[in-house]
Amino acid sequence: MSSKINGHVSPQPCPHLLVFRSRNGPKPFRALQDCIRVKPPGGRAAIRREPTEVPRCGTCEESSRSRLYACVACAAVFCHAPLLHSHASDHSLSIPGHEIAVDVDRAELFCCACGDQVYDRDFDAAVVLAQTVNATATTSTSGSTAMQCSVAGSQPENLRKRRRVDYRPWEPDSGEHISRGNQSIPLLDAANASLVSSTQQPWGLRGLNNLGNTCFMNSILQALLHTPPLRNYFLGDRHNRYYCQQKNGAINGTKNSRLCLACDMDALFSAVFSGDRTPYSPAKFLYSWWQHAANLASYEQQDAHEFFISMLEGIHEKVEKDKRKFQSPGSGDCCIAHRVFSGILRSDVMCMVCGFTSTTYDPCVDISLDLEPNQGGSGKSSSAKSLNSFNVEADCMRPNQNCGISTLKGCLERFTRAEKLGSDQKLFCQKCQVRQESLKQMSIRKLPLVSCFHVKRFEHSSIRKMSRKVDRYLQFPFSLDMAPYLSSSILRSRFGNRIFPFDGDEQDASNDLSTEFELFAVVTHSGRLDAGHYVTYLRLSNQWYKCDDAWITQVNESIVRAAQGYMMFYVQKVLYYKESENQGTS
Amino acid sequence: MKHSVNRPPTPDGAEDQGNEPILQEIIKIKLIESGEKERLMEMLRERLIECGWKDEMKALCRAYVKKKGRNNVTVDDLVHLITPKGRASVRDSVKAELLQRIRSFLTSAAL
Repeated sequence: MSSKINGHVSPQPCPHLLVFRSRNGPKPFRALQDCIRVKPPGGRAAIRREPTEVPRCGTCEESSRSRLYACVACAAVFCHAPLLHSHASDHSLSIPGHEIAVDVDRAELFCCACGDQVYDRDFDAAVVLAQTVNATATTSTSGSTAMQCSVAGSQPENLRKRRRVDYRPWEPDSGEHISRGNQSIPLLDAANASLVSSTQQPWGLRGLNNLGNTCFMNSILQALLHTPPLRNYFLGDRHNRYYCQQKNGAINGTKNSRLCLACDMDALFSAVFSGDRTPYSPAKFLYSWWQHAANLASYEQQDAHEFFISMLEGIHEKVEKDKRKFQSPGSGDCCIAHRVFSGILRSDVMCMVCGFTSTTYDPCVDISLDLEPNQGGSGKSSSAKSLNSFNVEADCMRPNQNCGISTLKGCLERFTRAEKLGSDQKLFCQKCQVRQESLKQMSIRKLPLVSCFHVKRFEHSSIRKMSRKVDRYLQFPFSLDMAPYLSSSILRSRFGNRIFPFDGDEQDASNDLSTEFELFAVVTHSGRLDAGHYVTYLRLSNQWYKCDDAWITQVNESIVRAAQGYMMFYVQKVLYYKESENQGTS
Repeated sequence: MKHSVNRPPTPDGAEDQGNEPILQEIIKIKLIESGEKERLMEMLRERLIECGWKDEMKALCRAYVKKKGRNNVTVDDLVHLITPKGRASVRDSVKAELLQRIRSFLTSAAL
């Protein structure tokens, strides 16, 4: 009953809708289009024959207790309350060809014969167009194509079309076959079994010595060392430090190799995955990073998140000088750091006076989330002041959520919720040509390979000249589906039940990638703002390991669930290898 | 077939509509004309989302669809399913706030 259009499941029309379309020419909903009334701001679309019409059932005059439907064929309005009576159904039975009706308050098509909602691309396109174009008396509601429509079709300049390449699995050629046989040593076979047996720790687990308040660095490095795409890149020799230094030495003519954080990462990977279990001192790495981020070069405690951002920048900076061609932001074609972490955020700002929406896209390497200001569920703090006592305690019936526990999903929901900007934050509206109060909504246009969520636990108030740490516990899932936070989902929920291609749907290859993510690393912070300690928990072959500087221990997953998450790293499920039980398979 | 006790009287088709408008009708028309109804609806939607009512109904619908199978459920089925539960689980605070708003509208409209 449904087919795939652009990777999204689309409902097939019912037989009555098909008949209706075939009988009524190429524009069967033409008359309806003039009746689409949009109430700005927020843009809810309704069907009214006159702008001030109060719809009533033609049979019983009912106007408020049931859903009202207007017959698309004859524009008569009827009520539909299946529990009581349905004059809409009566009408459809009495006159053949009058089965299709439209919900007057939601502008959604309904088949009275099937008793179910039906979808039509042309109709939905017309409704969405009416909702995005300002439907006031001065402009025509029939959707002039000259108007810029941020939803329908036009592609923003900073996103380029990606070429689709067919996937072909790799097969070694004859030369590679031979060298594979001669020169390679199997990682795991009977002879080497003593090295890595199932009781020992997995590959790549090695403690990092604290070189003086460097737990902020160690914790992030541990997470990066086990970020699957990053690990594969470096272990797969995609950045060879000897070759890179040789090349740079030749260019500069000096013996000292240029600063290259990627080379230092490569060295780190080699050291950590060497099989040597004694704790490693990443001194060279620290020194290189100090040279890159001179303002943070000290033995003072630093913020792990700041270090993470600065590291990615460092890797990017070096590479960009090599590659001369311009890369579109957010595509991740510039360097491995962005290839792994870069996603694209979409921001919609809607003027609350005229409804005009402006959309911008920005690349991002992580998402910083606020914890709720108040205790008591993840809803907004109550705006009905006199009823405060009602809201909080007695009525926390949200499924899967206890009263008062913040969750990562709750934070993401708040992040993508439409937010009224305060009257002190008026934004300039292109249509009104003045600053107006606005409604802002964020969503994710493109998911990265690895999603890093940063919980804003450190509050710095310049007004009160103080900083404090928020210790509140945040619950995070081990598996996370990011689908509800995508732009396509957010837009769909804004416009109601529609099938309509949103911009970028056809071109965006990431539609084929799943939206499911798996947690693989958690960086936690304990202690105070000025005197604290970072520890990373890693998930390898479904076991959790605590990486506390030089000490690596296996821990139960309940310890991880109870930990105070500061940064959570999720990788796309398709890239997350669940190790098989039999380690010896080749 | 059961008839609801609250079913409104079905007027005679030939009767002139403007003869005896009852108070309820006047209030309704005033609410719509002034745009207050739209504002109240928006406020109600917001409250129902905030307190988790919408998510509860969504969860109910999802569970039902899972049980019945995606292609065997109609909108009418879902409405039938959640109407009684939905009506019963609206928070008292929401009802109180709505009534308060309507009351203050009535006094301001000086009816």
